[in-house]
Amino acid sequence: MRPSASGRRFSTASLSRPLSRHHVFFSTLAGYAFAKLRFRGNKGLFIFVIATTAVPTQLGVVPLFIVMSDLGWTGTLGAVIVPSLVTAFGVFWMTQYLSQALPDELVEAGRVDGATMFQTFWYIGFPAARPAAAMLALFTFIATWTNFFWPFIVLNPSDPTLPVALARLQANYFVDYSLVLTGVLLATLPLLVLFIFAGRQLVAGIMQGAVKG
Amino acid sequence: MTTSTLPSKPRSPRRIAFSQTLGRWDIKFSPYLYISPFFLLFAIVGLFPLLYTGYVSLHEWDPIGGQGKFVGFDNFAWVFGQRQFWLALRNTMTIFLLSAVPQIIVAILIAAVLDTNLRAKTFWRMGVLLPYIVMPVAVTLIFSQMFSQDYGFINNLLAHFGMAKIAWHTDVLPSQIAIATMVNFRWTGYNALILLAGMQAIPRDLYESASLDGAGPARRFFSITIPQLRPTLIFVIITATIGGLQIFDEPRLFDTGGLPGGASQQWLTLTVYLYNVGWFQSGKFGHAAAIAWILFLVIVAIGIVNVLITRRIASNEGGHKR
Amino acid sequence: MTTSRRTTIAAVIAVASSIALIATGCSSAPSASSNEKVTLTLATFNNFGYNDALLAQYQTLHPNVTIVQNIAKTSDDAQTNLFTKLAAGSGLGDIEAVDGDWMPKVKQYPDKFVDLASAGNKGRYSDWKTAGGTAGSKLIGLGTDIGPEAICYRADLFKAAGLPTAPADVAKLLTGDWNNYYSVGKTFQAAKTGAAWFDSAGATFQGLANQYQNFFEKDDGTVVAATNPDVKAAFQSVLAASATQSAHLAEWSTDWAGGMAKGAYATMLCPAWMLGVIQGDSPAVKDWNIANVFPNGGGNWGGSYLLVPSQGKHTDAAKAFADWLTAPEQQIQAFTVAGTFPSQVAAYKDPTLTGATNAFFNNAPIGTLYIDRAQAVKITPFKGVNYGSVMSAVQNGLTRVEQGQQNVADSWTQVLSDIKALG
Repeated sequence: MRPSASGRRFSTASLSRPLSRHHVFFSTLAGYAFAKLRFRGNKGLFIFVIATTAVPTQLGVVPLFIVMSDLGWTGTLGAVIVPSLVTAFGVFWMTQYLSQALPDELVEAGRVDGATMFQTFWYIGFPAARPAAAMLALFTFIATWTNFFWPFIVLNPSDPTLPVALARLQANYFVDYSLVLTGVLLATLPLLVLFIFAGRQLVAGIMQGAVKG
Repeated sequence: MTTSTLPSKPRSPRRIAFSQTLGRWDIKFSPYLYISPFFLLFAIVGLFPLLYTGYVSLHEWDPIGGQGKFVGFDNFAWVFGQRQFWLALRNTMTIFLLSAVPQIIVAILIAAVLDTNLRAKTFWRMGVLLPYIVMPVAVTLIFSQMFSQDYGFINNLLAHFGMAKIAWHTDVLPSQIAIATMVNFRWTGYNALILLAGMQAIPRDLYESASLDGAGPARRFFSITIPQLRPTLIFVIITATIGGLQIFDEPRLFDTGGLPGGASQQWLTLTVYLYNVGWFQSGKFGHAAAIAWILFLVIVAIGIVNVLITRRIASNEGGHKR
Repeated sequence: MTTSRRTTIAAVIAVASSIALIATGCSSAPSASSNEKVTLTLATFNNFGYNDALLAQYQTLHPNVTIVQNIAKTSDDAQTNLFTKLAAGSGLGDIEAVDGDWMPKVKQYPDKFVDLASAGNKGRYSDWKTAGGTAGSKLIGLGTDIGPEAICYRADLFKAAGLPTAPADVAKLLTGDWNNYYSVGKTFQAAKTGAAWFDSAGATFQGLANQYQNFFEKDDGTVVAATNPDVKAAFQSVLAASATQSAHLAEWSTDWAGGMAKGAYATMLCPAWMLGVIQGDSPAVKDWNIANVFPNGGGNWGGSYLLVPSQGKHTDAAKAFADWLTAPEQQIQAFTVAGTFPSQVAAYKDPTLTGATNAFFNNAPIGTLYIDRAQAVKITPFKGVNYGSVMSAVQNGLTRVEQGQQNVADSWTQVLSDIKALG
């Protein structure tokens, strides 16, 4: 979890990739449970999940920082990764998508065949969720990539994320537009490249989902 | 909210060949296991800040000196007595309407276009998401130049055609439109892609049979796409509502002179107000926490209203189809 | 390190105790011996002029010290960061830069910072700068730069209006009180050059506000802005002049910067750090110059301090480093990098400073000029915890009138109610 002390200028890339992977897995798992499994308190808990996104973050910075510092995670990538491992946003999105895209019959069929709950999820739920999961991964990646304030507060100055490093270009009484825009362009390029590939996969993923019309 | 698109069948009694108890536990506890990562994490990074804020809101509180005396709901009473609070509430609502409504309508239209058999699909999808990828820093820089009152691009253009300049940084509505434009620029394409993913999951044979029945594109859109899209629509509307009501960066950075929000609080939103009070007024953390909780409740209330409306729209349209 | 507040938190966290088990707790601070390897974090904002070359000098002098600088984009970000981490009780840099404007709020918590007074830095600053860094009997802030004010003017616009253009003549012309400044403005406006005399009421008001001992608050911190006749008089006189002489461009707005490049105004108040702003925002303008004068005597606007939070692990090493950074030699180096004017009186005898000129401002002798301006500062304005909030309320009032949203009387009434709301 700890960033290497030297040799790495920006943490953004190392941060964004594993983050989107874990985020997607945990969110899909929870989304699948909410959308397709029957359990006591399903609805109530789900509404609770949504309500949590309504908590304004501007003030939450202080308590969140206290938690992170009590856990000894400040200055490490963990402090940036952990809060976004599973977000209400991701759970909500996967729930909504699966409830629409995955017919109950498929889940039932899996169970009748004697599969365990997890097998059903792994072989039926997860593949069906792939297009939405691809998008979630992409959005998580971008959000992590462009996030500024929390990394600025919680990370080590020697190990900044791109937007934090970028902000330093602006750190002056006046704005040097050409410098900032060049920085922005350089920071956006990798995202563009990623999106060209992810975009392909998005199309492919959507077409190959377990559910077809 | 978790209603599925296909009617669920009554569960038939099943026989599990091996270890019945284990299987029962599997069924009973697996769902909780699956959602537990979220709730565990939420307890730390979500619930604790929320409760902490609630606790602070009932006290006199200095962010560093710490807890003062218990004051009950005095902080809330103070907030409700503030002219700036009501202005901020009004602005939050109007900026929200100016951004969320056009944003969602346009996003649905874009998604519908992308859902047709376009050439170069990937290219178009990429183009739609492009504004979301651009760093917010750059977006703010570009837009603040565009909306400058005296030397900005838009006003120069207007002046060029002999039209009156618009007071982007002075008048209430223009300033809020400028801010809403920044928000819409960033989020419309994003929402369009989410809606597109939902549209792609709609079984194609529904459209085919409707076509055979003689339904035109508009009719197919309203009686198949919209109702089928309901879960995704709810998602988009809820997240746009919550995001829109928490709008912070755009109004904060809209003008860099003085405290954010404008000299007459023309574009002071609740989150910016909370930020001003919490960070720039000394020792007023209790007040800021009260604002945070009020904002939280406002968002929940509006979110519920939105869900009810969306459900009605989406189910009315499709009512006769099934 | 366990305070009562932390215990409450711990109780709440118990919900998630399984994860909290990983917590390492508070790590004990190793005592710093002089040769132990230490990494010092220096947290600044904007541009303090602490470039890599300057920091490398210290690391050469002290091979066991590694310095990492964390630069916040704006003073606001730095402030939010500082208060978040003060509130949390950890996470601050070993050295934190604090803007003079929010220094009063930081000074409420002297026990959170290390006493920096030592034989080495005694009497290095002018009294008012030392006072700004002192909380009770403790010196918690070492001054970095100051913002002594002069007047920057556009020679081309002065010429067009038939006014003298040489810096010495302009200084003579503007010697006097604020009424003199406005009456020259009247002459300038009469020539109808198309430009305004000054940029904004808000900036001009800053100049006045920094010339009173107790403008907004009494020495005990009581807010008197609403009843102090000086405040109301300043508000009204600035706006009276603004009606005909201001470009009405709110400070720091994109239009203000655009106006600077387009020659929308002929003069502006010019603390030393403003030179960088002007050059950055109007790089193509050839006619900016500086007059060694300021209405109604001297004035200081802005300037910062370095503080050593006591939560740091290497406070002794940090203290030594802060002392070094704020010593005259280093202040002069920072000045050559970023134009941050030294606050050390001893620096004013250094030939690097006294010989400094600025090519962009037509080779103005900025070294001697700003030394004069610094020595003209006679008053130490008291700035308490509410200074910033009151100033924002008044500035908003000035802007409302300049933008034509309210008349002077209505705007003042609202300023009064806004100040009252600060509670």
